[in-house]
Amino acid sequence: MEKAERLQKLAQAVLEMDVEGIVPLIEDSLAAGLSPVEILAEGLSAGMRQVGERFKQGEIFMPEVLVSCDVYYRGLEILRPLIRQTGGGPVRGKMIIGTIYGDIHSVGKDVAVPVFQAAGYDVIDLGVDVPDERFVEAIREYEPDIVGLGTYMTSTFMHTRETVRVIEQAGLRDRVKIICGGPAVDPAAARRMGADDASDDAWEAVGKLDRLVEELRAARRSA
Amino acid sequence: MSEIVDAWVRRLKGKLRPIGEMTHWERMAAAFELRRADLVPVAPELDYWQITYAGYSHAEIYNDVDKTTDACIRTWADLRTDAIWMYVDISHQIENFIPPEKRPEHFVHRGDKDYLLFKPVAKTIDEAIELYESRAYERYLEGSRAVTHYVPHMLQLLEFQEKMDRIVPVIVGIATPSNYAETLVEVQQFVRWTVTEPKKVKRYLDLALEERLAALDFYAEIARKHGLHFVCLFGGARTWGPRQLREFGYADEIFVQKAVKLFPYVFWHICGHNLPEAMQLLVQWDGIKAVQYDMPYYSQKLSWPEWCESVARLFAGKRCAMNSPTTQTACHGTPEDVRRMVREFLDATLPHTTAVVMPGCEVDSYSPVENVRAMIEEARRKPLP
Repeated sequence: MEKAERLQKLAQAVLEMDVEGIVPLIEDSLAAGLSPVEILAEGLSAGMRQVGERFKQGEIFMPEVLVSCDVYYRGLEILRPLIRQTGGGPVRGKMIIGTIYGDIHSVGKDVAVPVFQAAGYDVIDLGVDVPDERFVEAIREYEPDIVGLGTYMTSTFMHTRETVRVIEQAGLRDRVKIICGGPAVDPAAARRMGADDASDDAWEAVGKLDRLVEELRAARRSA
Repeated sequence: MSEIVDAWVRRLKGKLRPIGEMTHWERMAAAFELRRADLVPVAPELDYWQITYAGYSHAEIYNDVDKTTDACIRTWADLRTDAIWMYVDISHQIENFIPPEKRPEHFVHRGDKDYLLFKPVAKTIDEAIELYESRAYERYLEGSRAVTHYVPHMLQLLEFQEKMDRIVPVIVGIATPSNYAETLVEVQQFVRWTVTEPKKVKRYLDLALEERLAALDFYAEIARKHGLHFVCLFGGARTWGPRQLREFGYADEIFVQKAVKLFPYVFWHICGHNLPEAMQLLVQWDGIKAVQYDMPYYSQKLSWPEWCESVARLFAGKRCAMNSPTTQTACHGTPEDVRRMVREFLDATLPHTTAVVMPGCEVDSYSPVENVRAMIEEARRKPLP
């Protein structure tokens, strides 16, 4: 089987939610000499991009997206240790992400994290119901470019102001860009509360992340 | 007999200024029956908002029925909306699956204005099925299928409704099988299983349906004895796709068929991603008189007026449309944003069907009072065609 065909099958497995089939496909591809980075970037991640396109077109819906994400993760579990050994591909930026304090829903983050990873972001997932102080610790520990605040509900989105305040108080606000995500977010309201942007669509958010990282790096250069 | 209710009835009965030519009850009933009312009814779902508006915190009212009822009536007396919403978080309704001593672990109070968090009861679909098969919901209940500890509050509000001679209706929310099934295990798990474990999901939904149908009998008794007329069916299925609606929509449909026979004014509450398709389904289910709908999440290709008009055309001659502003605008927008959205909704809807002004979901605790007042004023200002 040609390399292009193998990569196509990997992408297809993500798109078709083949939870059982992804592991042997990856093992075969590794045995055939494909690098872990190729398998991830041109196979699994390409599949996630196709998932996004179909989701935007209204051809697939959240249940299918979530299972495709599970397939992606299953593949990532195999590939991540190998990528660490061999050195990964280019990283577009580093991000910490967590569902905001007071919100236990993970449905949005479950989609956003693999989409961002597939787009080339190094994403550290802090989990759900994350206290503000944990975001501060994680900024110090991981030195990310972006802080992602996931909120599922209108009321927990309003907690953004407090999280931003705590990050500011710790003297870390200038080091990161802050983006909110979830079905109830609004970019203008997010900015009023001190964040930099917001998005209700993980694939659309990738473009915003790129822009925010670019702005942050420009600010760092000029400083 | 409730002292708090009697105190409010003494204060209000016969002393309220009339609003329009109809009572609030008549106005709501007219809209539901697709008849012309004197004014556009406005009935925002003020669940949590009314608690903080009245000066209470969520933690304060959680175990205090009198304060809960006081908050709802006080808010209504100030704002004179066309319905009073019973206070309940839909997750309260699954309290009957949890041993009383464990309930505090599942409900988390944070700030005074913050949402009450609910932690799921089961982690796997097998656990969830086992909960139903062992009839856990009967084990922890005392003497009835009372689905929430707020039932006494519901009875107080209905007592107020009756003692005020039904000038204003009380709306009671009842969760549908899909909502119940999703809440027990968390929605993100449930929707995954619709893809990976469809047979088990069907079994699970069948059990949820059985419990919900029996719960309707409990509410029917309330309707008979206490005058419950206006019922909001809280639909789940908010992130379902067409396949899920086709394969698993039957549970909610059977539930609706029974509910519409028990209560005169039944409406459906739905929000989420796949709304256009879900709305098509809802107009096929006989007996639902109105639909409280939101804007589809994510990439909406229609403008707000276009979306409202598409729904109104679909509902023409069949359903009353309940909407506007969005919950997000009610919370984050300005009063002028709220007014504009209400106007656009009414302009798009009234040529085709009747309307009730209310956001598609609950008004958030953080929504400014000016925005809620703007919503009410704008609805009342609109001349009816």
